Amino acid sequence: MSAIEDLVTELSRLPTIGKKSALRLTYHLLKQPPEQSRRLAQVLGTLTERVRLCERCFNLTEEQPCTICKDPRRDAATICVVEEASDIAAVERTGEYRGVYHVLGGRLSPLDGIGPDELTVTALVQRVGAGGIREVIVATNPKLEGEATALYVQEQLSSLGVLVSRIALGMPVGGDLEYADGVTIAQAIASRRQMR
Amino acid sequence: MRLLESDSLVLHSFDYRETSRIVRIATRDAGVLSVIARGARRPKSPFGSAIDLFTSGVAHVRVNPARDLHTLTGFDATRSRSELAGSLARFTAASAVAELCLRFANEDDSGRVHDAATSVLDAIGVATPDDVPAIALAGAWRVVAELGFAPSLDQCATCHADLVADEPVTFDHRAGGALCARCARLGPRGRLFPAEARETLRAWLDGTESALGDSSTRRAHQRLLREFLEEHLADGKPLRAFATWEAQSFSHAPAEHA
Ligand SMILES: [Zn+2]
Ligand SMILES: [Zn+2]
Repeated sequence: MSAIEDLVTELSRLPTIGKKSALRLTYHLLKQPPEQSRRLAQVLGTLTERVRLCERCFNLTEEQPCTICKDPRRDAATICVVEEASDIAAVERTGEYRGVYHVLGGRLSPLDGIGPDELTVTALVQRVGAGGIREVIVATNPKLEGEATALYVQEQLSSLGVLVSRIALGMPVGGDLEYADGVTIAQAIASRRQMR
Repeated sequence: MRLLESDSLVLHSFDYRETSRIVRIATRDAGVLSVIARGARRPKSPFGSAIDLFTSGVAHVRVNPARDLHTLTGFDATRSRSELAGSLARFTAASAVAELCLRFANEDDSGRVHDAATSVLDAIGVATPDDVPAIALAGAWRVVAELGFAPSLDQCATCHADLVADEPVTFDHRAGGALCARCARLGPRGRLFPAEARETLRAWLDGTESALGDSSTRRAHQRLLREFLEEHLADGKPLRAFATWEAQSFSHAPAEHA
């Protein structure tokens, strides 16, 4: 295989990149000064060398533990459980959450070969079992698989005497009842809260 | 290009590219189809949560006769099945039934697989964890029977001699069912099939309920079904949901910590 074909093959393995885009990116790189491609190769090499999973929360990190686990200003007694490390960024963007995290590494999906053993639930149970945790907030996605994962996590933690909560599901902010589907409305009603 | 509007059940659904999802649905009128729901991952998608796993509804599909991937233009959900997420037992069993339909039912256009799968999922959704395995096994065999693959239980699968009902026989997946003693001796590759297990399987294939005894009986039935499916699929591809279901059945009780 030629060098061009090699790169096209590798690039088209990436999400959202088809053969056409891969070819376009390859030709783009060839038109740039060689220094730029060398820099890209170097950065990719460093990335795979340095980035590891945090031993405590399974976030992606270059230090052990990660900067969030290490931060003394964060509330280490509250754990927010998410499916993927990328979900941490989404919660962090809000600037509202001050606790720490636990990344499951996916969600239960037997059809894709993902059962409980493929997730980091056992590590979470050990972490909570070690003590010092007040609340676990389960923030898996509001889909059936995320819901099954949330209930499994809750069941695994049930004997540990820790408060387990689930993020509220329902109407999006700025949404309109008239245009929401029945399932979303039903969830919104089920997770209603008392008004003060 | 033809338009199809059919009662459907979502069997599998996964992200595709930045904004779309590919959904595999059992339809009542055209068997199992792979359809693309364009824009389904956008926040204001017209699909909303309608195409979530195990949801029933009316699918509107633009069928592309030249391809295996068709276009989902709409999905009016009539019933979501959040109760299937209620326990690992239910969720993994429902996934195993979905996998069976996905792998077997491509050609079925009778609607029987859709109807059988729908009623199995409804039954699993209200079952207690202890009842889930028997209900799922019964449902899975019913789907197998609807597709015309039911194993022979009362006659030898090879020579068609009648088999005595209350005697143990040999079950040979390749032959397609139970064997008489003579045929079993000729091709020694089946496994012992006790009369009680045969009775249970007969009830399931007939659509009547039959409870399971202890956990070893349950595991033996799961193994029998898995081997039967593997023999019939013969494509060497692993049955991943089925494997997860089997693994779940004898582990993953809630953690015990003092
Ligand atoms: Zn960490
Ligand atoms: Zn015979």
